[in-house]
Amino acid sequence: MKLKAKIRSLFLVLLLGLTAQAALADSATELAALDQESQALKKSVLELNRDLFVLEEELLYPSNTQVAVFVSMDVGEYFALDSVELSVDGKNVSNYLYTERELKALLRGGVQQLYVGNLKVGEHELVAVFTGQGPHERDYRRGATLVINKNIGSKYVELKISDREKQLQPEFVVREWE
Amino acid sequence: MLRPATHRLSSLVATLAILMAPVCIAKADGLDGFVVQDPQYGEVLFHFYQQDQFTALTHLVTARSQHRVEHHQDDAELLQGGLLLSWGQHEEAGKIFERLLNTTNDVSVRNRTWFYLAKVRYQRGHLDEAQQAFENITAPLPPELEAERYNLQARLFIDSGRFADAVALLNNWKGDETWTAYANYNTGVALVRMGQLESGAALLDRVGTMSADDEEMRSLRDQANVALGFSYLQAQLEGDAKPVLQRVRLNGPFSNKALLGVGWADSAGKQYRSALGAWLELSRRDLLDSAVQESLLAVPYAYAQLGADPMAAENYARALDIYSAQLARLDNALVDANNGKLINHLIDKEPDSTGGWYWQLDRVPDDERTRYLYFAIADHAFHEGLKSYRDLAALNKHLTDWRIKLSAYRNMLATRELAYAERLPVMEESLAQFDLPAMQAQQEQNVQRTAEARANRDVVAVAPAAEQKQWQRLAAMEHSASWSDEGTAELQDKQRILKGVLLWNMDKEFRVRLWRQEKANQELAKDLQQAADQFAEIEQATAALPGTISGFDNRINELESNIDTLQARLSVAMVEYSQYLSDLATKELVAQRERVRTYRAQARFALAAVYDRMAAQNR
Repeated sequence: MKLKAKIRSLFLVLLLGLTAQAALADSATELAALDQESQALKKSVLELNRDLFVLEEELLYPSNTQVAVFVSMDVGEYFALDSVELSVDGKNVSNYLYTERELKALLRGGVQQLYVGNLKVGEHELVAVFTGQGPHERDYRRGATLVINKNIGSKYVELKISDREKQLQPEFVVREWE
Repeated sequence: MLRPATHRLSSLVATLAILMAPVCIAKADGLDGFVVQDPQYGEVLFHFYQQDQFTALTHLVTARSQHRVEHHQDDAELLQGGLLLSWGQHEEAGKIFERLLNTTNDVSVRNRTWFYLAKVRYQRGHLDEAQQAFENITAPLPPELEAERYNLQARLFIDSGRFADAVALLNNWKGDETWTAYANYNTGVALVRMGQLESGAALLDRVGTMSADDEEMRSLRDQANVALGFSYLQAQLEGDAKPVLQRVRLNGPFSNKALLGVGWADSAGKQYRSALGAWLELSRRDLLDSAVQESLLAVPYAYAQLGADPMAAENYARALDIYSAQLARLDNALVDANNGKLINHLIDKEPDSTGGWYWQLDRVPDDERTRYLYFAIADHAFHEGLKSYRDLAALNKHLTDWRIKLSAYRNMLATRELAYAERLPVMEESLAQFDLPAMQAQQEQNVQRTAEARANRDVVAVAPAAEQKQWQRLAAMEHSASWSDEGTAELQDKQRILKGVLLWNMDKEFRVRLWRQEKANQELAKDLQQAADQFAEIEQATAALPGTISGFDNRINELESNIDTLQARLSVAMVEYSQYLSDLATKELVAQRERVRTYRAQARFALAAVYDRMAAQNR
């Protein structure tokens, strides 16, 4: 067998793959039809999922008692958050340890819902403590106490870990939404 | 990277197309730097940045339905479109982008939307419309999207056969290292396909000699070297081909093709001994690879060229045995594929999660039965089908999880209803102890008395009870029968003095006492009003609770019914996908069988020729 013929044979081998693909052109049409149904199904599931979420929230956390606490970050990228601990009216409700992936998401501007629960109308005390490591492996542990006045209607509290106020000194900055 | 073309191609183009299997790079969306104004939108981004896209999408859809991302309406809509697009929801994503273009005047949002719309149209094969969408982008996009835009548009040009436009677009573009490498690769390939080997080779050589820090880049580097090496081989520049192919890693995914090419380059220079080295190494590798299958023929060919006919005969005979054994296995696999067993085995594994976007099956399956689907899996249609099947399976599981939750919620509601029934009589009894109307009437009397005391300066009326009692006793003395008797003058004097002192004191304290009394009246009125409000709330709540519970019950029933309907539809679709995948697998296995049969026939002819030659030499 001559070399040229051999190289042709090599390409034949590779082409066979393509021939098989060409034979699958009909399958692409079939796939398109299946894809239509798949898209319709996904759309329906997404809508149903939305209704299920809404029901779950109304059932477990009715708006007149709902309180949600969010955590966000506005710090230099060298601050590594380890954990956030949250107590409501003296009762510990969350001890959260962050993964590297979650930390990156926070640093990029994501906001984590740390806690959602129910509180009666009136005053409540929230105590939050975060730990982490800053530049030169310096450990940080900072806390914040906040008294919130819960009215009728959902209450959202954001705990922002920020070093804007004090350069390289991360602190909690608290913001409330009604 | 280029997608394998579906139209008829020259052998070179076909070779390159196969070497250029599409590689997707999941990059960020250019959303960094947002100032979050609605915490729920930030929460969606939190999941999105972690590539948990199903959660991000479901939370976004829910938050939007609850009007909780009102400060980010355009961005939220754009993000939803992008997430839907990633999830294979081209139609819904396209509708969102077109709607957004009709409603927003924000240039940044409009440009990003045009980009996504171009992507949707490109993925659906509407190349002209995709190009029009690209042309509507009026300003640079965020860096990551900008890089993707250039590469996507270049792919579009290449798919449309507009190689010169692709080259022109990418020629002077500078992106980050990763995107530049892809751009150089695509441009190089486009140039080779245009017949400009020298120019294309320069770019492919740049990618083929770049430093690479991760597997993705190392793989791209190998791919560029293989593409360039085979381009040289096709151009009969075997001397140039060998060093390029030798740059490919021996343990990488492209090493088999590189070894085959090195062998052919040596063989072209009549360096059969050297060629044998590469091919023998290749022939010991996994037979699923067509290059390895080919090497079983190439090894005896090299022996024959070296005049070692007995070795050639032995290796042709070995190739025949291996091909026959492989054909037997392929026949068995075909039986399994026809019965649906092969696909079921592949897809029966528990779906990881609903995040089906990132589900990949790039490696050869480990078990013997499904190994033969390796080539089928590499096929775009099969891969897409398999991904969709797993997406649907994950959704099915997701709905099953919801069903379990709904069952728990139903139990919770039943408990609430029971507690209500138990507590209601106790609460009613407790409430009955308070005669609120009587209390309110009493309070009104108090108010009236205080008002009269103020009007009449009735100092006694606001005096403490003890003083009032003293006052009454002193007053009562005046009305006693013996009050006017003789000898009571001294007593009357004392009574008059005491009465005067008491009146003096009461008069002195009158204003303070009146103020206190009025204040007490006000506080009591407030307390009574609060009590009345609470009574009303309790009555309202107790009256509404059964309705609230039954309302939730009805919603749960309806949602469960919807879950049933959707799960039934999902099951049907999954069966259809399974059948489709089985058909594809069967076709692929048949193609593999044909290829091995062709090799076996070639081996038989070559073996006969060697035997003939040996016989002739022995005569």
